[in-house]
Amino acid sequence: MQKKGTIMLLSGELDKALTAFIIATGFAALGVEMKMWFMIWGHNCLKKRRGLFSRRRKPDPAREGIYRDLATDNFLQPMVEILNRGGANHLPLSQLNLMGLGPKIFSQMLKKKNIPSLESLIKEADELGVKFNICQICCDALGLSVDDLIVPNVEVKGVSAYMKDTMDAQVNLFI
Amino acid sequence: MKVDKEIDVLHKVCPLPLITLAKEVRTMAKGQVVKISGDDPIFEDSVLDFCREGEHEILENNREGRQVSIVFKI
Repeated sequence: MQKKGTIMLLSGELDKALTAFIIATGFAALGVEMKMWFMIWGHNCLKKRRGLFSRRRKPDPAREGIYRDLATDNFLQPMVEILNRGGANHLPLSQLNLMGLGPKIFSQMLKKKNIPSLESLIKEADELGVKFNICQICCDALGLSVDDLIVPNVEVKGVSAYMKDTMDAQVNLFI
Repeated sequence: MKVDKEIDVLHKVCPLPLITLAKEVRTMAKGQVVKISGDDPIFEDSVLDFCREGEHEILENNREGRQVSIVFKI
């Protein structure tokens, strides 16, 4: 029987995202079919980091319109986007964040030990065939586009797909 | 013993040796022989688990100080 696992990443912190991706890549390397789900702050690690006031492409009904209701998009979405720019190399720590200094010290410690960065683990997960899914209402509420993520082929799905995946798997983690 | 591929994961830490190994093994055929060398403290356990999960036959397991070399058949 094919071993399967899912990881739901809700947190947007570096330590938690790193844990999720170490588990995902390790399990996938050992032959487990892994599916990762991203919700609310969880998608921050997948976001392409943009400049504070960079111009964004207007949502395209043929692309974003498929998984978002563009008619209800509002001015709050770009405002939240400025406050929550994400990016794998710019995530805070859940403890000892020290106003942004913590992640820099933490990353330096990992680098000294040859531990891969979060961004490289995300790329490795993609190459190992880990499937990425993002919550549809999260995309809609925050005004996200899957084209703005660092990995291609991120699928936008709902809770019924999550139910099928989790019921089908032997290990389901919620981080 | 004829080794079809030698993989060097010295100075790489968990989970990188496993990722490298999995990617290389995927490109190879059943019956081929792989030699992998690493020095991560949990390298040996990781590769033995990898072989157990993939039902690969372990042919050699040598340790020299921190460095471990494992030869197995895919």
